[in-house]
Amino acid sequence: MVRTFARCSPLLAAGILALTLTGCSSPANRAAMTPQDVVVSKHHPYSLSVQTGGGANTGAMDSSNISDADFKAAIEDAVGQSKLFKSVVQGSGGDYELIVRVTTLSKPIFGATFTVEMETAWSLTKLSDRSVAMRKSVKSSGTATMGDAFAAVTRLRLAVEAAARDNISQGLKAVAEQNL
Amino acid sequence: MKKFLKLAVLLGFITTIMSGCAVNRATGSVDPSANLTAMKAMYVKKLPADDGGTNELIADKLRSKGVTVTTGTEPAPGNVDAVVTYIDKWMWDITMYMLELTITIRDPKNDFPMATGNSFHTSLTRLSPKEMVNEVVDNIYKGAK
Repeated sequence: MVRTFARCSPLLAAGILALTLTGCSSPANRAAMTPQDVVVSKHHPYSLSVQTGGGANTGAMDSSNISDADFKAAIEDAVGQSKLFKSVVQGSGGDYELIVRVTTLSKPIFGATFTVEMETAWSLTKLSDRSVAMRKSVKSSGTATMGDAFAAVTRLRLAVEAAARDNISQGLKAVAEQNL
Repeated sequence: MKKFLKLAVLLGFITTIMSGCAVNRATGSVDPSANLTAMKAMYVKKLPADDGGTNELIADKLRSKGVTVTTGTEPAPGNVDAVVTYIDKWMWDITMYMLELTITIRDPKNDFPMATGNSFHTSLTRLSPKEMVNEVVDNIYKGAK
C-alpha cells in the first residue's frame, strides 16, 4: 500500500500542481462584480437604462468570462446602491441610456498569481435628443493570489470579478462627474 | 534526477490537458455611434515587443478594406480617422502559435474604443497569425454600419 502510494505520489503531486496552476470554466458572479462602497460626487435626478455588450458566456472548457446579462445586473445594482441616478429602468424608457461594452478581458492561463486586465467603452446618451453626454474608455485590473483561492478556477474568477468591480466603480465615478 | 524528470513530464502532460481545452471564440462589436465605413485613414500602433509582424498583418488586412494605413511605434499622426491597437497572446504546444488576438479601433481624440474584435483558438484548432487577423477584422466589419 505504502509502496503503491509512493509510486503514485509524483502523479498525484503533478495533478494537484496542475489543478492549482491552471484554470477552466467558472463564470464571473454578478453580485461579486458589484462594487459596494462607491461614493459618487453627484446624484443625477434622472432615470437610466443600461445596456451591455462584448461579454461572453463561460463554456464548460473555457476560462472565466463576463456575460452581458450579469455585467448589466452588476452595473444596475451599483447605480442603485450609489444612488447615482434617481432610478434604473428596463428597456428604452429612461431619460438617459448607458451602454457599456467589454472591449478587452485579458486573462492569464497559468500561474500562482492571476492578474486580469479589462477595458470597457462607456457611452452615456440623453435619449430625448440622442446627444452623447459621455464617451470614455475605462481600464481596470484585478488580481487574485494563492491566498485568495487555492484552486485556479476560483482564483481566475476572483481576478475577473475584481477587475469588473474596479471597472464599474471607475465608470460610475466618471458618469458622476458629468453635468447632465 | 530520474524521478524529477518523470514528474516534469507528467506535469507537462497534465498541464497541457488542463489548459489546452479546445476552445474557439470569435467576436466583434461596434459602438452604435461609430461609422467604420467612413474611416478611410488609420494608424496601427505597433507593440514594442511585437517581432512577429502582427501590426503589418493588421495593416494589410485593413488596406484590403479600402483603408489607407500606416503603422509604427511612434504616436499616431494627426490626420488619421482611427488608431488601431492590438493584444496578441502566444502559446507553445510543439510550436508557438497565436492563442488570442484582440484588435481595437479607437477614436484618436480620446482613445475611445469604437470597435473591437477578439479571436481565441486553442492548440487543436489553431489558426495562423494571418488567419487570426483576417477573422478578427472581418468580424469587426460585419458589425459596421
